[in-house]
Amino acid sequence: MIFTSMEKKKILIIEDDSILQKALQEFLIAEGFETLSALDGEEGVKIGKEKKPDLILLDIILPKMDGYEVLKAMKSDESTKNIPIILLTNLGSLNDVEKALGLGATTYLIKADYKLEEVAKKIKEVLNI
Amino acid sequence: MGFIRKFNIKQEAEDLGVSVWQAPSFLFFLMGLFIILVMVVIYFISQFYDSPEVLVISESIVVVVIFSIGNSIIKSMEQIARINKMKSEFVTIASHQLKTPLSQMNWELELLLSKNQSGLSEKQLEIANTIRQSQETMARLVNDLLDVARIDQGRLVLNKEKVDLLEIIDAVINNNKILAKSSNVEISVIKPKKLPEIIGDKKRIAVVVDNLISNAVKYIEEKGFVEIKVEEGDGKINVYVKDNGVGIPDNQQNSVFQKFFRSNNAVRYQTEGTGLGLYISKNIVEQLGGKMWFKSIEGIGSSFWFYLPINNDVNR
Repeated sequence: MIFTSMEKKKILIIEDDSILQKALQEFLIAEGFETLSALDGEEGVKIGKEKKPDLILLDIILPKMDGYEVLKAMKSDESTKNIPIILLTNLGSLNDVEKALGLGATTYLIKADYKLEEVAKKIKEVLNI
Repeated sequence: MGFIRKFNIKQEAEDLGVSVWQAPSFLFFLMGLFIILVMVVIYFISQFYDSPEVLVISESIVVVVIFSIGNSIIKSMEQIARINKMKSEFVTIASHQLKTPLSQMNWELELLLSKNQSGLSEKQLEIANTIRQSQETMARLVNDLLDVARIDQGRLVLNKEKVDLLEIIDAVINNNKILAKSSNVEISVIKPKKLPEIIGDKKRIAVVVDNLISNAVKYIEEKGFVEIKVEEGDGKINVYVKDNGVGIPDNQQNSVFQKFFRSNNAVRYQTEGTGLGLYISKNIVEQLGGKMWFKSIEGIGSSFWFYLPINNDVNR
């Protein structure tokens, strides 16, 4: 088996705000990633199970299925439970953080407080690149 | 005269946000008036009808009056408390709503200034940078508002982690170096080699320290110094931040820790700030078991200090 080290990592972005979606896509593509997008929780789970991305960026407040449920769905499926998930949201109370981490999220970033560059850096940290 | 001023019902109604008829002072006054009235009437009635029935009936009337006016006072208080809670919740909801466009601006500006600069003139870049600074100020204000709302609702949750105060102070001084340099301010620190670890919220304590130090720097007009002293004693760690800046006018000193307090000197010397920093900082310190105070003389400078207790129970 030959692995190309140049193989692009796939990031699934589950975010209902189209401006934020596009901004994340543009930045991550420029950083050398490949991106997949979903605008609601249901679509997110569907694409997640179909395409098995290397990492998922997940918002909490989503139509059709909220972030916590997406988290549960991904973590309870053998084929997707090991995909690292970074919660990207604007909810900020300690309860929200603990709940998310308790459900298996790798880490948690507050959108309004982080630059795209820092998000990309966090992704690389989690993926060990 | 002071007694009458205390009963300034109109002012109280305005302060509490209710109508004059709902003001507790007014209702209390009304109750007193009724009781006196009824007692006078009973007295006269009893002069003509000396019977226990009259006594019972009249006393029942007094009781009924007291209960109903008392009830009105309680209802009025409840409404005031309810409105207060709603206002606090409103601030929380509105602030969260604001985070969405703030996030959008945050990232769009980043894209503009980092990966999409080509074709932009220097002037345009300058304008974009100014917009970015405004966005950052707004983001800080929204975060402060959220913290203030949490404090008011008793929902500010502080982490319990091991904190190295010296490390925090060093980092904050570092962050304020550029600001200090541009205002020709020298920052000096007197600190012990080592301090015992305390249990607290690292990020929030950094906010407190940053608030005091950046305020000290900001309120120095042309050239000056900020002296920081850290010392351990009496089961506490004391932090003093002294500046030789513009100081706080005497007549404003009572309001320093209130929400949105901005000293006249601040407006005059054009310092930026939300006015919420000290309110939040004092609250964080108190929630961690400490206290914060200050001393200030206009034209001479200010000294702010706080202490945090050293918890001996370091086992988590």
